Amino acid sequence: MIENTLQVLADIRVLDLSQGVAGPFCAKLLAGLGAEVIKVEPPDRGDISRRSGPLLGVAGQPQQSALFLYLNTSKKGITLNLENPAGLDTMHRLVQDSDILIESFPPGYLDGLDLGYSSLSKENPGLIHTSVTPFGQWGPYCGYRGSDLIAQAVGALMCTIGLPEREPLKIGGETALYTTGMSAFSATMIALHVRDAQGFGQQVDVSAMETITVAQIHSSIHYQFGRVPARRESNLVQAKDGWVSPGLETGAPEGTWPKVCELMGTPELADDPRFNTSVARRENQQELRDVVGRWAGELPKEEIYHTLQGMRTITGYVATVEDLVNSQQLQSRDFFQPIEEPEAVVAAYPGHPFSIDGQPQPDVRAPRLGEHNEEIFCGRLGYSQSQLNEMIVKGAV
Amino acid sequence: MRGDNSPDSAAQEDPVSFPASVPALDGLRILDLTQVAAGPYATLLLALMGAEVIKLESCSRMDINRGNANPAPGDPRLYPNGEPGENPWNRTAHHVHRNINKLGVTLDLATPQGKELFLNLARISDVLMENYRASVMDRLGLGYHVVSEVNPQLVYVKISSQGATGPEKDYGSMGSTLEQTAGLASVTGYEDQRPLMSNETFPDPVVGILTVGAVMAGLRCRNQNGRGCFVDLSQREATINLMGEHYLDYSANSVVAKPMGNRHPDRAPQGVYPCDGEDMWVAISVASDPEWQGLCRALNQPDLVQDLRFVSLDARRRNQDALDEIITGWTRERDHYQAMHLLQAQGAPAGAVVKGSETIEDPHLEARGFWDVVDHPEAGVYKQTTTPWILSKSPRKKAAAARGLGEDNGYVLGELLGLSQKQLEELETAGVIGTRPTDAA
Repeated sequence: MIENTLQVLADIRVLDLSQGVAGPFCAKLLAGLGAEVIKVEPPDRGDISRRSGPLLGVAGQPQQSALFLYLNTSKKGITLNLENPAGLDTMHRLVQDSDILIESFPPGYLDGLDLGYSSLSKENPGLIHTSVTPFGQWGPYCGYRGSDLIAQAVGALMCTIGLPEREPLKIGGETALYTTGMSAFSATMIALHVRDAQGFGQQVDVSAMETITVAQIHSSIHYQFGRVPARRESNLVQAKDGWVSPGLETGAPEGTWPKVCELMGTPELADDPRFNTSVARRENQQELRDVVGRWAGELPKEEIYHTLQGMRTITGYVATVEDLVNSQQLQSRDFFQPIEEPEAVVAAYPGHPFSIDGQPQPDVRAPRLGEHNEEIFCGRLGYSQSQLNEMIVKGAV
Repeated sequence: MRGDNSPDSAAQEDPVSFPASVPALDGLRILDLTQVAAGPYATLLLALMGAEVIKLESCSRMDINRGNANPAPGDPRLYPNGEPGENPWNRTAHHVHRNINKLGVTLDLATPQGKELFLNLARISDVLMENYRASVMDRLGLGYHVVSEVNPQLVYVKISSQGATGPEKDYGSMGSTLEQTAGLASVTGYEDQRPLMSNETFPDPVVGILTVGAVMAGLRCRNQNGRGCFVDLSQREATINLMGEHYLDYSANSVVAKPMGNRHPDRAPQGVYPCDGEDMWVAISVASDPEWQGLCRALNQPDLVQDLRFVSLDARRRNQDALDEIITGWTRERDHYQAMHLLQAQGAPAGAVVKGSETIEDPHLEARGFWDVVDHPEAGVYKQTTTPWILSKSPRKKAAAARGLGEDNGYVLGELLGLSQKQLEELETAGVIGTRPTDAA
């Protein structure tokens, strides 16, 4: 164990055959705990996320996908054509001394190449084979295609997001797929715990649909307890430069309201029966928002956030990526990590989502396509340079 | 495989070679002080995988999920049929849904006996998890340094809003405010309109799901080093992880991400389209040309493939409004599930926008054994969400009803800690433990 860095998985080798967001994010989280992760990409074009926006670099010169750079930190990159006999043979050799395989192929694809769990587990009974797909490995929809939007739809999440008079709305970005990656990470860690404690590997089936159905924590249970969940207006109040939720309806300690009235320059509202209890404030939310809005509209959102949080209310402000990169809280924890690029692009990305004993978890930049071919094929598997060249000629690498 | 519904595909794998019935987290004991959503969601998942979770509350400070001891008319908590019943604190939807498979124990941590018993529980636990504001445990005199002295092997998992350090470490949050302070709301909304939240306190379940992996990492760390460790998990930082690429885009290109409705930079058409019936919708999300051709086949409009307005991803993105109109003409005539099946049959990614009433009947989730039927003694029969994963050789446990306040005091304090019946009665008289909220009528 290397002193002072987090090496929980230093003894673990991971083969990451997955593409897109969910599988690669899972493998990134494992790499962040010290696992050696080898990302295996198809030789011609690599992971599909290499072509996803947003792009970094100067237009007209080779650019790199921000999504790929973020999702593949601390991995080694090799190329392998699984549909080529030499490539397939090499894959089997890699599996033999790996602990975890992560993949996101359509269910059945790897079985067709004799790389399914039933074959690989015979060669390596300790293998943990984690499949990350839109709908899982079996069941009536298992052959269906997915995306972030589709996961939010079939997972009963987006039915309640958005305004009542408009269409259902998704949470922005690729959040459902990232969350699926977190599911796959946690499930893989459980399987590793089982292997450590009980001595065997197994197949782990993670789906975006089930992840999001777990993440809808209101729709299904509210319906069953008699409240039909519906889309609704948000409780945000406009500040001078954005939006805040003052948090005066729920969670504010007793005695806070008179202080807030003082602060707003409206002490006469302290005893106003429309607002003087949390039940009353909830019942008169619209009026409350108007009253608070007159005060908030003159002030920066972060000032409101800090002032009201200082009074122990549960206040929020709508932070943009710009606000967060500049957040003192996040800076004090050295949260954002600089990207290490030879071209010296100045960029920062979110650091690890948790730490253990405060140990730093330094990242290495995401690999170029096939960057570690020689190290892995020649160094690990013992191929000679001419064997490697032959594989390149045959289209296996 | 899941509990009772092992599928044929898993059965193909030589089930004789392993003792298949040992739960994944057999023998693991978790002392759970978490409340509300993120923490209870994590321990719910750990309990379903076989950990013994001791949910610790006190009669004066119950988990907020239990609602008020004496709910007033109009209380916003959800009770079966709207009726709080005899013991309202055991019947709220959120308590029932988030605390399955855990043991219910009460202990007043403000009292010396409560503290002592708490430390005794910490001594026999593998993991302690809490999600109080940063300084609460220290103020109680039960912070990491104290409990790790009592049990040097303990894995202490602190879930907090902002992390254990920094100027905002004592700030409070809820899932809905984290959506704001972690950036999700800034990219959620209809195009060119104000930000919106999920109504699902989305960061809470996200953090719950992630924390399971963090617990496993902490345990592995303990097993390697022979001593416990402190896991610091900031809900805000974990949630920021869901938008990594946008931070790179901002810091390199000065682009501040904004809401784009249901659309996507690399997929077109993408959106939700109205179907037959009130508030029924189908989501469609097309990236590649083969998927586009599949969509045209499903719509029975093969000529669209040649239409120059839609001939490439770029073209489809530029002319998405026109395309949306064509698609809507087709979806309006169809049931949302039917539209999904017809589109997927042609290789076009699509999904019904499923409601809470529909997800519990969904045939795919049903076939995979996702929902468990729970008969809660005080709240009745309902369907429970389970795990977002299936481990082929470590089946999850069947969901078991959430326990009443202090219902397992006898087992945990009596059997595990060895207190006598007389001692338990004394503790109850002194108000250190109990099964009714202090302020119950």
